[in-house]
Amino acid sequence: MNAHEQRIVVVPCSGIGKTFGSVSREAAYDVCDELRPGATRLLALSKLVLGEEEARERVRNGRTVTIDGCKLMCAAKLVAQSGGTIVREVAVLDVYRQHRDLKPDGIADLNDAGKQLARVIAEEVVKTIDDLHGSSSAGEASHA
Amino acid sequence: MPKLPERKVGIIACSGEELAEGTVARLATLKVLHDLRRGRTVTICLPLFLAGGEGDRAFARFHPTITVDGCDLRCAARGTEMYSGKPTASLVVSDLLAEAGLPAPAGRRCLNDAGERAVAVTADRLAQLVDQVLEPNDVPGDTTADRSLALSDEVPVGTCSCGSGIPVTRVAIDGRTVDVLAMALIFRQFCESGGRVDDPASADRLMATVKIYNEVPPVAEASYREAILREYKEFCAREGVR
Repeated sequence: MNAHEQRIVVVPCSGIGKTFGSVSREAAYDVCDELRPGATRLLALSKLVLGEEEARERVRNGRTVTIDGCKLMCAAKLVAQSGGTIVREVAVLDVYRQHRDLKPDGIADLNDAGKQLARVIAEEVVKTIDDLHGSSSAGEASHA
Repeated sequence: MPKLPERKVGIIACSGEELAEGTVARLATLKVLHDLRRGRTVTICLPLFLAGGEGDRAFARFHPTITVDGCDLRCAARGTEMYSGKPTASLVVSDLLAEAGLPAPAGRRCLNDAGERAVAVTADRLAQLVDQVLEPNDVPGDTTADRSLALSDEVPVGTCSCGSGIPVTRVAIDGRTVDVLAMALIFRQFCESGGRVDDPASADRLMATVKIYNEVPPVAEASYREAILREYKEFCAREGVR
């Protein structure tokens, strides 16, 4: 498996109507754009809705982290339906229950608490990614 | 009296997280929903067509729907048509910007100036489309009436609050199973207004209401009427209405 294939696919839920959906998206960007850019690849859930073959292949052939904003768990369900292997299934609400001081607010513009909650989620996801990738990923992340 | 789900213009964005254009689609949709056409529009998360229930999949059959996509894959337009209903109109951000001679946006997470401009242009175009879909005598931007996103008291538990959860009843009509939108609410309203299906004029009124929310093929109108009246009698029996 080459480096590209080893990248963990990160799929946020694409929620548009609730603040927790915005938190899931923010967490995914934290992971893929800041914390582990070389070890991950963001995938838009809308592609799996459409059944786009390249996106389906990416989740079928790789390992996936899903981040969902509500209990309907759209991202986890669609990755599973597409034949993907989910290595970490994050429910934003579950994390929020452990960090009630970080109450998210806003949809288009997430408040600071929401961004902090997203960061907490992102750091949990990073732990999973580092466990999977071992020391090579941690080394890469040090200059991310 | 029970409140029937209100038909609004549905807007579905691809929200494509991989591209700045997807962010433009999402933010333009939110701008129309929350600002430009507040109270006249409603949305749903695109993935709910697969992950949600029948009430979610009924979205585009119930609301005249405009889709907004970031790129030529047109996930929102094609996904909506595959799983819910044919959109009334569709927009593709990249096409819209090319037509307007505007630069491509950058910054999928935090849009640059071109991206902010793209949101404004896309939102304005969306608002125009919403106005075209709405009745001509509707007043754009009217937020005086109670037009909250809540659809009714009978929205199924567990659905997203963003506009999904239209109550659907499956009815056997001519040997086929047909989804009838908002039927229980229509029945309840009809009942509380003193409607009677043994009175032909009253039964006509019931059917007229059903047809506001459901497409009844003219060739099958008699079968629909027979089925709806049968269902109404069963509803009355269940509810103890005489």
